[in-house]
Amino acid sequence: MRLFCQALIIFSYLILSAAKAQDFDYDYQIREHILDNGLRLLVIERPDESRVVSKIFTDMGALNETPGQFGSAHFLEHLMFKGTPTLGSRDWDREQDLHRQIEVAEDAFIEALNRARNDTRERGVFHDYQHKTTTPEIEELRALIDSLNRQVLELNDEGPMKKWYQAYGGTRLTATTEQEYMKFDLDLPANRVDLFLRVEADRMRNSVFRNFDAERMVLLEQRLGDLNRPETDFREAMNSLVGRASMVYVPEGYANDFDQYTRRYERELYETYFVPNNTTLIFIGGVTLEEMVPKVEKYFGHMERRPEPARYQGREPLPSAEKRLNWRSDDLSPRVEIRYQIPGVGHPDRPKFDVLAVALADHLQEVTADAGINGKLDINTRVVHTTRFGVPGSVNVELILDDHVQVGAAESVLLTELNRLKKELLAADDIAFARKKLRTQWHRTAVDPNALAFQIGHFEVMDSWRTMQPYLQARDETTADDIRALVDKYFIGRNRSIGTVMPAEERQ
Amino acid sequence: MSKSCRFSCATLLLLAITSVVAQDLTHPTRMALPDSDFKRPSPTDFELALDNGLTAFVAEARQAPLVTLTAFIRVGLVDDDLQGSAEALLDAMRSSGPADMTPDTFRASLKRMTADFTVEMHDEWTEVSLNVPAEDLGAAMQLFAAVLRRPAIAAGNIERAAQSAEPDPDDLGGEDGPALYEGSLNAAIEQFNDVLYARHPYGVRPELTDFEQLSVDDVVQFHAAYFVPGNLVLAMAGDFDAEAMHAMIAEQFEDWRAGVVPDVEEMPPVRIRGSRQHSFPAEKLQSWLVFGHDLPQVPGNDAAALEVMNYILAGGHLWTRMTIETRYKYGYTNDASGFLEEKWFGPGSYSFRSYSRPEVIKAIYANMMAEIIRIRNEEVTDEELFVAKGALTEGSFQVRYLDGYQIARSFALERLRYGHHERSATYVQRIRGVTAKDVLAAAVKYLRPDDMQVILIGAAEDLLD
Repeated sequence: MRLFCQALIIFSYLILSAAKAQDFDYDYQIREHILDNGLRLLVIERPDESRVVSKIFTDMGALNETPGQFGSAHFLEHLMFKGTPTLGSRDWDREQDLHRQIEVAEDAFIEALNRARNDTRERGVFHDYQHKTTTPEIEELRALIDSLNRQVLELNDEGPMKKWYQAYGGTRLTATTEQEYMKFDLDLPANRVDLFLRVEADRMRNSVFRNFDAERMVLLEQRLGDLNRPETDFREAMNSLVGRASMVYVPEGYANDFDQYTRRYERELYETYFVPNNTTLIFIGGVTLEEMVPKVEKYFGHMERRPEPARYQGREPLPSAEKRLNWRSDDLSPRVEIRYQIPGVGHPDRPKFDVLAVALADHLQEVTADAGINGKLDINTRVVHTTRFGVPGSVNVELILDDHVQVGAAESVLLTELNRLKKELLAADDIAFARKKLRTQWHRTAVDPNALAFQIGHFEVMDSWRTMQPYLQARDETTADDIRALVDKYFIGRNRSIGTVMPAEERQ
Repeated sequence: MSKSCRFSCATLLLLAITSVVAQDLTHPTRMALPDSDFKRPSPTDFELALDNGLTAFVAEARQAPLVTLTAFIRVGLVDDDLQGSAEALLDAMRSSGPADMTPDTFRASLKRMTADFTVEMHDEWTEVSLNVPAEDLGAAMQLFAAVLRRPAIAAGNIERAAQSAEPDPDDLGGEDGPALYEGSLNAAIEQFNDVLYARHPYGVRPELTDFEQLSVDDVVQFHAAYFVPGNLVLAMAGDFDAEAMHAMIAEQFEDWRAGVVPDVEEMPPVRIRGSRQHSFPAEKLQSWLVFGHDLPQVPGNDAAALEVMNYILAGGHLWTRMTIETRYKYGYTNDASGFLEEKWFGPGSYSFRSYSRPEVIKAIYANMMAEIIRIRNEEVTDEELFVAKGALTEGSFQVRYLDGYQIARSFALERLRYGHHERSATYVQRIRGVTAKDVLAAAVKYLRPDDMQVILIGAAEDLLD
């Protein structure tokens, strides 16, 4: 009897579970309030939780940089950890005076660099020739700035934006800058959410760029870490092959740009983009919208609406020809990579590419194996670190091979199959499996409030947070016919970039 | 209205406007932030005990239609008297699945469920975890129980385990080995552990000859000895009804014979003394540094002070003394952190890690060592204590009980390791009670600057001169 009861409980429960799974509609009950100054507040209320995930997103990133300053948005994020007059200074009056002197000295430094432009211009392909590398005036000003900076260091405490968060139970103190956004994150006891608002409002309005040159070297360390991986160079070359104008395809900074960063340029970025009408606050956890509105008003409401930050204007020219990269390397496994440009989030085709990537990956892996090609295939939409953009990106078919002699054959098999799929449908089972896999992956993300808050913020900067739910639903509704239509429309020669990796030529 | 009244009104109005428009820059310490209202949940609210000795922690987590089924087993790589048994069993559980399925059917079943299935075996414990959509819970539960109770162990598992025991040509392979591109810090950590446990059971790994002498029956016996209900704890969390999960656990595990819970073997101490550098030169853009020494078993009354000390010195976050003295002040590195790695039944390690462009690696080592010396000689400040205690008790501790997944996992691991929940019950009180003197004493007792084993991959630098 006991076993029967157990079985009955389980059976009834499983029937209910299966039915419930079909009903999930990605509605996270997001509540919105927009302040008069344009700042957007988004809250998911979870009254049983004692903590709250808190994020502040700014709609700016590498897209907003100019040549010679690549990576400066990421650098700005580092600088914004250096404190404010009220966080991190032991004597602001003295420190402020030193910052004024640094500003004057840096203006003179920039003037001196501009004056010496024809002497110090890099003329060599291999960064190997300038008439002069510097001038006495430049060196003198550099030394002055360095000396003033050392005096500033005597007056401030390091880590002021972090230590109070930590002291009051903050965790996941991170920040990220990518092509389209900068965000700061915190998870803390819900009844201390005021601390997040107080610090972030201060960071948004009053950041002091302390220890600029040492932080520049931290950036260099991060870049060297990237460059230690041989894939990095190849991937960046592929990115720039695909994109000719869009900043989506530019990495987070070349090391040769780092020493050109100036406080003045960073300040311009900061003042242009860190305005309330370009900012979104997101909270998930033990708070309500009704509680949060007056708190957010208290800390951010006094900020005036500012001129709308300039829209990103980069647009790729229409695709006109297939492009090719022949990469030689003994450190990188042989491979074939085929990329096509795809639309950004907000375009009705974009969610279907997620389904395409999953369904096609398994299919192409089988097709290549049947053709005797030994390798591991992956399809993704990643450019640098990001897989979704509000502007066009790319879908990347990557086949890493066991043996370089199969590079030619692998490319031929892949292209033939992609062409065939313009006429023939992928199996319905493959599509159904891809949809389920995507659904599960999404739930694994959304189960973590930190990851869910990120996704909401990311959709907001790409298009709108309201796009997220229909985007996910559209994936669930994608059919084999939709996939064929995508292949037919986008997988065309003039929209294609192909990269191959072979061993170094001297070994051939 | 009189002049003075007009003035007062204007002043009041100005004050009112100012209070509305001025930015509130009250220092965090003066914001009168309320005490956190967090209370650690009670383990008994989540516990299920079967008559055969099996314990499970079951927690509902409704954020997403997923479930995670986890088993923690007190068996590790050091427990196989017949070397290689543990590695072969690990391979069987990972890739072959249960005895009543073929490996192909097993893999197809996982794929159909879009499952995330992992088996990790550490020196002293093992974790088997299966995450699936809630709609697949029934099939997943059966599969999960079957893998734990009746793994398909075959000769092929021994062969595969033997192959993975062969030296990897991409390893550093000594001082003349090839330069690593990927995972260089991990390589440095592995080298550090190899040095530290060179003549210790934690460092013994099976060789090809061990696998040649191993039979399928040996591996089956190994599994039978350790996979008994009283030697494992389940953590089940996700989008389910707790009562239904209790019934499912009973259905899958109730008839498992209790068996004999194996004794725990205490491990001998590590006896490496004196500092020594172990260099692995490589043409790289960066160098990787790992240095440290063994960490004896830490008695409960020392644990809190040691944790606070490590938090202040180097504890894996961005406001430590080591980070300030390497990254913030000088821009030498992106990270300089310390890692207390306790073992359950023997000596663990206390190591420090960083990486940088080669020309500053020596300065990094010097600054990190200087901080080790300083914290052994001077009491920490009140502010440092305040930050560390708040971060540990109201930050990382609370996160361990953030949701059903974390609750089930934290209680299951604690029960398997200690057999009770005293550690977590008293954690906040113990951390809050730590004084600057306790921190100093912990630093003197557990930091040994003269016993550093220094691993350097990359630059050819003598760091110990």
